[in-house]
Amino acid sequence: MSTDVRSILVRAARVEARRDGSRTIEAEHVLLALAREHDSEAAQLLAEVGLTEDAIRSALNREWEQSLAVAGIEVRTGSLPEATPERGRDPQMGESTKLLLHRAMEAAPKPGGGRIGPMRILVGLLATERGRVARALDAAGVDRAALRTRATEALAAGTR
Amino acid sequence: MTELVDPEDPAAGLAAVVALRRLADRLEDSQVERAMRSGWSWAEVAEVLGVTRQAVHKKHARRLLAAGVALRRR
Repeated sequence: MSTDVRSILVRAARVEARRDGSRTIEAEHVLLALAREHDSEAAQLLAEVGLTEDAIRSALNREWEQSLAVAGIEVRTGSLPEATPERGRDPQMGESTKLLLHRAMEAAPKPGGGRIGPMRILVGLLATERGRVARALDAAGVDRAALRTRATEALAAGTR
Repeated sequence: MTELVDPEDPAAGLAAVVALRRLADRLEDSQVERAMRSGWSWAEVAEVLGVTRQAVHKKHARRLLAAGVALRRR
């Protein structure tokens, strides 16, 4: 285990951002990174409500299509032309990631000097009604409130 | 002309802004790549996009070089 799980998550999330062609690491990339940490209880909790890596990717695409439809644009995002991602690119933390880390640190019990684990990151990620992750989970038919309660309880019970 | 789905819902309208930016970014990355693969110059791409040659070069050159696209000097 690393001394700071947060750095692992941000590193894994950076890979997701790069793959997505994004210039910043956003909350959705952190969610994918969480789901890929198969050994963690956070990933297991996500999988229990159907949020595997693949399910999250398709939920994010569905959210994209739904939001484009609001602007009157009908696009099958799966058939969009691909751009070659830049492997050397180093995306920086976006605002949604900064917000979720801030919320994660605020969640009880306060981490003090302790390590930041995946469950705490998940709690921070679920602590909002807004943004692409919340909308994607809604599109996937996930009960966000129930998931948030379970993650909050697991964190309070000592899961990192 | 298509009506906005729910003009009363700012959350949906703002999400549409984000979605459009994602779409524009994806299209820009893929279409600049396509043009450069077809032998366009930076100046030609820049003219169509309405930005400076330096701007389009700064944004895309590293990625396209890494992707193995043979770039013209100018």
